[in-house]
Amino acid sequence: MSHRRVIRLCAGLFVAALFFVPQVIEARYILHILVMAGIYTIMTMSWNLLAGYTGQLNLGHAAFFGIGAYTSALTAMNFGISPWLGLLGGGCVAAFFGLLLGFPSLRLSGPYLAITTIGFAEILRLVATNWVELTRGSLGLSGIPLLTPISIGNWTMKFYFERDYYYVVLVAALLTLFIIRRLVQSEFGISLQALRDDEHGAQSIGINTAKYKLAAFTISAFFAGFAGGLFAHFSRLVCPHTMSLHVTFDALTMTMIGGLGSIGGPILGAVALTFLSEWLRVLEGFFKVDIRLVLYGMLLIFTIMFMREGLVGVIKSLKDRFLGFGRASDGGADHD
Amino acid sequence: MESLFLQQTLNGLIIGSIYSLIAIGLTMIFGVMKIANFAHGDYSMVGAYTAVFFVAWVPGWFGWVGSILAAAAVVGVLGVVTERLVFRPVIGRWTDIDVIMVSIGLFILLENLAQLFFGATPRIISDPFKGATVNLGGLSTSVLRLFCLGFSCVTIAVLQIFLNRSKFGIAIRAASQNSFAAQLMGIDINLVYRLTFAVGAALAGIGGVLFGTTFAVHPIMGAMPTLKAFIVTILGGMGNIRGAIFGGFILGVAESLGGNYISMQYQHAIGFFIIILVLLVRPSGLFGAKEGT
Amino acid sequence: MTEILKTENLSKHFGGLCAVDNVSFAMEENIIMGLIGPNGAGKTTLINMISGAAAPTGGRIFFHGKDITGLKAHSINNMGIARTFQIVRVFAKLTVLDNVMAALVDRRRHGPWKLAVSSVFRGMYQTGENPESRAEAEKLLDFVGIARYRDELAKNLPYALSKRLEIARALATRPGLLLLDEPSSGLNPAELVDQIALIREINRQGITILIIEHVMKVIMDISDRLIVLHYGEKIADGEPEAVYTDPNVVEAYLGDDSHAEN
Repeated sequence: MSHRRVIRLCAGLFVAALFFVPQVIEARYILHILVMAGIYTIMTMSWNLLAGYTGQLNLGHAAFFGIGAYTSALTAMNFGISPWLGLLGGGCVAAFFGLLLGFPSLRLSGPYLAITTIGFAEILRLVATNWVELTRGSLGLSGIPLLTPISIGNWTMKFYFERDYYYVVLVAALLTLFIIRRLVQSEFGISLQALRDDEHGAQSIGINTAKYKLAAFTISAFFAGFAGGLFAHFSRLVCPHTMSLHVTFDALTMTMIGGLGSIGGPILGAVALTFLSEWLRVLEGFFKVDIRLVLYGMLLIFTIMFMREGLVGVIKSLKDRFLGFGRASDGGADHD
Repeated sequence: MESLFLQQTLNGLIIGSIYSLIAIGLTMIFGVMKIANFAHGDYSMVGAYTAVFFVAWVPGWFGWVGSILAAAAVVGVLGVVTERLVFRPVIGRWTDIDVIMVSIGLFILLENLAQLFFGATPRIISDPFKGATVNLGGLSTSVLRLFCLGFSCVTIAVLQIFLNRSKFGIAIRAASQNSFAAQLMGIDINLVYRLTFAVGAALAGIGGVLFGTTFAVHPIMGAMPTLKAFIVTILGGMGNIRGAIFGGFILGVAESLGGNYISMQYQHAIGFFIIILVLLVRPSGLFGAKEGT
Repeated sequence: MTEILKTENLSKHFGGLCAVDNVSFAMEENIIMGLIGPNGAGKTTLINMISGAAAPTGGRIFFHGKDITGLKAHSINNMGIARTFQIVRVFAKLTVLDNVMAALVDRRRHGPWKLAVSSVFRGMYQTGENPESRAEAEKLLDFVGIARYRDELAKNLPYALSKRLEIARALATRPGLLLLDEPSSGLNPAELVDQIALIREINRQGITILIIEHVMKVIMDISDRLIVLHYGEKIADGEPEAVYTDPNVVEAYLGDDSHAEN
């Protein structure tokens, strides 16, 4: 069997196995972590599309997450709209804001763009804090409805427990992976990457870089908003902190450590850091010291200085060295 | 009505002077090394904590002024350390995004180290003037704030002299305009880098003490100075020290007046609104040089 | 012969500086036209305006009779003008093959949203798995002689080869007019010979070429016509031998102390 097929088979088995996890692991606490990890992978994959593949540094990504969360929560609470529709609605509203934020990116880059995106998120966060009639301010929205029950054959999910959310988030994450992977490994994706690598060169081969940037922002924002909606109905509490810089930095750190500009990197980073975070929380119980974020910071610095391509890059070079498959390459589109 | 306007303008100038101080450091570092340091505000935070401990050790007015100098020294050293360990390997090698990322990592690290060592509870640096106020022709303000304004202005003036008259200052300015040519002229560029960071960070440290005395000191206080400094730096043009000076005062006054006449709650959004507008019209800042593509 | 490109009083001012000053010329189809002049004469700025990378501050440009003045670079490329850059701008993190594949995408018919949606639903547009595109990309790489590097990342290519990659990439957009900005800089004599042959072959296949060059040997050899710029103004326009001996041209080069290589 060819090398590629082996990988595909293993990946397929792994994904299938993921569906059986709740049969094996019943601890609600662990399932809770897995759900959060899943939500974070959607966040990181969407951020990666914009930063890793299109080269646009968006430090306001949490704003899309928060917009999706608030939209879905508010439509469910105030208008009785089904949360399932709310998820899509949250994504769409976030996509609209993504489009808006795309316009500054047409003229700005580097630190200028970074500050503009931060400003965008901060302004929205202030709106969420101060528009108390709509968002209940700093208190946030609580008692957000659960996802409404769905039945597949004989099996009904009522969403009272983490287990049901696990399945939904798993499917959502896989769907996101599928879509983003297709987007990236296509003529659309290669155009984004050309734009990332050299904007003038891209224009010289006919790429309308403005339109591509706007498209990337819109799509990236949609998925982040969708993740926000999932978060809203899972944690049942949304507050302005959801849009804070710290949330963006979380997604950013996970993506960089996992591997910017690769398909697997964001997933690896999100899962690894979510679990690392939990293990450290346990340690904190023993040593009374919270070094989680200190470690985040150190890992981020370390990654950029020594493992620029992230964990994915490390795995690739190990693979090259020991198995001799593939060629010397770093980053770029994964062909997994 | 009119005196309210003047009062708020004064308040704005005071806070703006602190913004300027911190922003000058940021813009200097960017001008010389093309590094956009997102951890810059954390230099202010470290400076503020230095002052907390120094003032506990040497109390009174004398201790407070001493703490400013101590903060400058400590943060200056921290600046050199971060330059050597984190940023020096970066220059020229990596893209914009990498530099911003590594400084974000530094930001997260410093912020949380502070939380680890000092705890999340805010600390107070007690007012060395014991709450005394002063009345200037109808406008009132605390002696502390007036002192902050004065001290900032003096520091800025001293800095200008340093940059224009001293050997090192001129070297920094030369490197800021053309680092390659500066090296060809025999300037030890590594020394300049270290000096720039030391001075830039020290300025932020001083600003941090002033800021921390006026408000409070806590581990995540670095985020706001960072963002304010970036806003001011962009307003004034990255690398443009004079622009940073003006920009700081402009931002301070805009926030103060805007907070009072438009909305107190969105005060902090004013700065962002301003630069978003400015950048849309002039992508390189109000006074920035047009960068070649 | 039909006229493919025409400029009328084309100018570019940067504040007080005038980089290109009232330049007018016309090119017929299928020729190779050389554009020379001392450093800073405005040659690249002129090319930038024709390709859409810079907007003129005065004058007009006509391509096949259509006014293209001030159009954006990507639109101009879609209309049939391609270019290379003085300092190579390949897509560093893409493979050599992908660099060309990116250029092969038919952007006249497919915008970003259409490509995005169809990539998700039909999965048909898969880079590297579309056999016709791949074959055409390979052909182009072969044509410029770098086919064996197809899977190498573009940033790992030696300088001379990355210049050829840029040419292959430009050709992939099926241009009628190719603008070459100092393609010979940094090449050794052996590479120069190959390049002259390559440019000739491109022209032979029906593509009109406008080439900026400093290396006299190259430009005199392949140009059907020559235009000389000096301080942004056109000071000569005609057959190579005539231009070469034009006293204005000689003075411009000697007077500026820039060396004209024989």
